[in-house]
Amino acid sequence: MRIRRTSEGIRARKNPCPVQSSRGDSPRQTAFSQKSFSQIDFGLFRRSVSLLTLPSDLRDPAQTLLQHAESRLVPGERITARLSTDLNWSLHFHAGLIVLTNQRLLHVEEGAFHDWRLQNLDELLLEEMGPTAALHLMQGEKAVWHWRLTAGHLREVEAFIGRFKEQRGLTAEGGDLGEDDDEELFSPEAVAEPKFAGKPLLRLMGFSRPWLGLMLLGLALTVASTGASLLGPWLTMSLVDDVLIPLQSATHEINVQKVYQFAGGLLGAALLTWMLQWATTYVVARLAECVTSRMRRATYEHLQTLSLGYFSKKRTGDLISRIGNDTDDISLFISVNFIDFACDVLTIVFTAAVMFSINPVLALAALGPLPIVAWLVQWVRVRLRGGFAAASRAWSALNSVLTDTIPGVRVVKAFAQEQREIERFRQHDQQIFDTNDRVNRTWSFFEPTISFLTEFGLLVVWSVGAWAVAHEQTTVGVLTGFVLYVTKFYSRLDAMSRFVASAQRAAASAHRVFAILDVKPDMPSNKDTRKIGRLRGEIEFKDVRFRHGTRQIIRGLDLKIAPGEMIGLVGPSGAGKTTLINLVCRFFDVSEGSILVDGNDLREIDVIDYRRNLGLVLQEPYLFFGTIADNIAYGKPGATRAEIIAAARAARAHEFILKLADGYDSMVGERGQQLSGGERQRISIARALLVDPAILILDEATSSVDTETEREIQAALDHLVKGRTTIAIAHRLGTLRKADRLVVLENGVISETGTHDSLMKHSGTYARLHAAMVEVNHA
Amino acid sequence: MTLLATGPYLTLIEADGVRHEKLRPVRLFPLTDPQHWVALVDENGREAVCIEDLSTLDASQRTLLDAALARRDFVPVIRRVIAIKRATEGHDWHVETDRGQTVFRIETDESIQSLGGTRLVIIDKAGTRYLIPDVASLDRESRRKLERYY
Ligand SMILES: Nc1ncnc2c1ncn2[C@@H]1O[C@H](COP(=O)(O)OP(=O)(O)OP(=O)(O)O)[C@@H](O)[C@H]1O
Ligand SMILES: [Mg+2]
Repeated sequence: MRIRRTSEGIRARKNPCPVQSSRGDSPRQTAFSQKSFSQIDFGLFRRSVSLLTLPSDLRDPAQTLLQHAESRLVPGERITARLSTDLNWSLHFHAGLIVLTNQRLLHVEEGAFHDWRLQNLDELLLEEMGPTAALHLMQGEKAVWHWRLTAGHLREVEAFIGRFKEQRGLTAEGGDLGEDDDEELFSPEAVAEPKFAGKPLLRLMGFSRPWLGLMLLGLALTVASTGASLLGPWLTMSLVDDVLIPLQSATHEINVQKVYQFAGGLLGAALLTWMLQWATTYVVARLAECVTSRMRRATYEHLQTLSLGYFSKKRTGDLISRIGNDTDDISLFISVNFIDFACDVLTIVFTAAVMFSINPVLALAALGPLPIVAWLVQWVRVRLRGGFAAASRAWSALNSVLTDTIPGVRVVKAFAQEQREIERFRQHDQQIFDTNDRVNRTWSFFEPTISFLTEFGLLVVWSVGAWAVAHEQTTVGVLTGFVLYVTKFYSRLDAMSRFVASAQRAAASAHRVFAILDVKPDMPSNKDTRKIGRLRGEIEFKDVRFRHGTRQIIRGLDLKIAPGEMIGLVGPSGAGKTTLINLVCRFFDVSEGSILVDGNDLREIDVIDYRRNLGLVLQEPYLFFGTIADNIAYGKPGATRAEIIAAARAARAHEFILKLADGYDSMVGERGQQLSGGERQRISIARALLVDPAILILDEATSSVDTETEREIQAALDHLVKGRTTIAIAHRLGTLRKADRLVVLENGVISETGTHDSLMKHSGTYARLHAAMVEVNHA
Repeated sequence: MTLLATGPYLTLIEADGVRHEKLRPVRLFPLTDPQHWVALVDENGREAVCIEDLSTLDASQRTLLDAALARRDFVPVIRRVIAIKRATEGHDWHVETDRGQTVFRIETDESIQSLGGTRLVIIDKAGTRYLIPDVASLDRESRRKLERYY
């Protein structure tokens, strides 16, 4: 079975296209040798260093194919567009490349090459089939070639077809496409280039660069305090040999003076250590706070630059958990564990050095168990790493449950699903329990083992020491000092093991935070965008197409809206009205075609600057936590109270605000005063009006107010839409009475446009929607 | 525009002779700007007039309006925090205000709201608002007690 499938694959590869051309100009097929491929490979390596770091099987085959296509160009021929295909005719993965030049269309794949002269070709036809698509090359009614690719390439395919059409038209006239345009078309490939993130903990170092001074101070203090802490055993050694032993053997007089000296020295050493440690702890904790605060801010700032598309894919709870919990783990790591670690390493090195300088034999004996410890650390490290990453993920999941069900608590209660939500929470909590339990099991074995090894090390020192003392190779004092040093040494090892755990936890956390920071804004902002200032408000849609993933939502929409015109956008639910508005606001970029405002392509103007011209009332109004006045002034923080009140009056919000205990100072939003749906809507209308927008966008702005209030808002709006371009969506068609033009959107295309009266006469979709509405109202 | 007091209410006679009866004054920004923006509202909550700056009124009208406002106004200003005790639900505050000493209960931490800077509003269980215009100007002892809750 397996063999047969393979042979099929090979057959398909050799003969990727079942279409036989009956005409004379069948594609010229040329096989090229494996050798030429490997030569190309070398050329590629020389050209692009970054590719060298890739494992060979990840290398982009399109590059190799492109090299081959380039080698086929005749003088005067220039590539104007290219498209990678990733399937063969029998839908096995197989890389191919279609290249459009100013003369020909070329097709390259491993072991095959075809080309067609442009003037012989008519059309490239795209056939979408869910997860895959086919591209048919047409010569008149006849298909001369087929390509297959996965739906992920659809955007590029559409762009390529556009280029093909243009180039074909130009070639017919003997012209070329401009060279500059190439870049834009190739950009999807540029974005797909894999990015190699450095080790997360090393990247953390990068974040602490602004506090280099603080870092060095922390380090210096650490060295000093570690050194000070080693004075104690040293003094003890002399105390035993020079005072206690002579005292016991009673061969000398009691040297009170010396006892005082040693006691004083020990006290001094302890005090010095205490002070230095205090300073170290504070300096390092501050450093940790600086670094994590910078990290939190950087992450949040980066989040704000990401487009709506990113947020619609992300769980809020997960983002909260990354910015909150994960940065906290990192802070703990830097402030507590990292400094401890530095201390530990220093202590270990110092003690080892001191021990060797005093008595190499004893030192060697004492450090015997060290290799076992090193191996143990490595073993634990590997096991913990996965465990902590899993724990972080489990936390995210738990946070997601909370951010999901707490705002939705009314739905939970209304459908009496408390028990189910409790169960959902319990499951996620169990997951945290399990992962932590797993970590603890590793852990609980590790710590006592280190303790045991400490005891063992001591035992070795005592026995070797006893032997040495007996053979008069060392003194009791030295042995005592040694025991103290060894204890210190191993207690540090023990602490170091704790470091292993927290380093792994911090690495897992840092990785999750950097994952946000590494997301490239998916709306490539053109570098040379223009500021446009105040718009007149002309909007033009030119063959606009848009897809969400593989689903086409807007399919070729042409519309020109004059400055100051009011457009009523109607159509069945899911027709793409909100999507169209998202495009006008440039929350998403069009997949194909363009939107022009005052003659400027939206992609070429500064987004922030452009959005200052917009007043937006969304289908689901959102209020931030804060006073009503703050919410109304959200788009214009410097607004005066008079302006705020005027906007609220215009939106018919003033009177209900007067009824609230704190008037305009009432807190609204998540944990503030509960407002009704209509009240929230009116506040968001006031918010849009306050910015005095050139383009006003109302998406079902009055859907949740009663008809009486709606009429009032309408009256106010009628007055306000004057002088500004307005796009209003409404299901209650009466709302759009005042619209200059009604546009009926159906299935992503405009099916009708005209005034209310002309559309009623036309008896199309609009008349049907209207009739249905009247029927409902009368029922 | 003339204001008259009729019993507990105000009556407004506009320049063109239109009368609005049974009005009561409402502050639009009672917490952030109590000295400006007062609306006169009728029984049904409809606004008859809105005065931006009270100082534009002549003295007699001003007194009338101030009296009407004072009758309704009740936002004690906390001068000193004597004690805050944890209760079964929320906590009890024992404070000294510009209107004397009192004890009130607040239910959740969300009942303490910061209005920008150091201005705090505390809403008790009954809905009464207490104001701390500037936390920093409280005495040390009060600030320390407050710190644990906000
Ligand atoms: N982020 C998204 N990802 C995938 N599909 C989406 C996304 N947003 C919307 N859609 C789909 O696009 C289609 C058009 O949605 P849109 O919100 O534009 O409809 P609408 O015309 O505003 O409908 P309504 O009148 O109900 O508000 C819908 O079928 C919807 O499922
Ligand atoms: Mg919608």
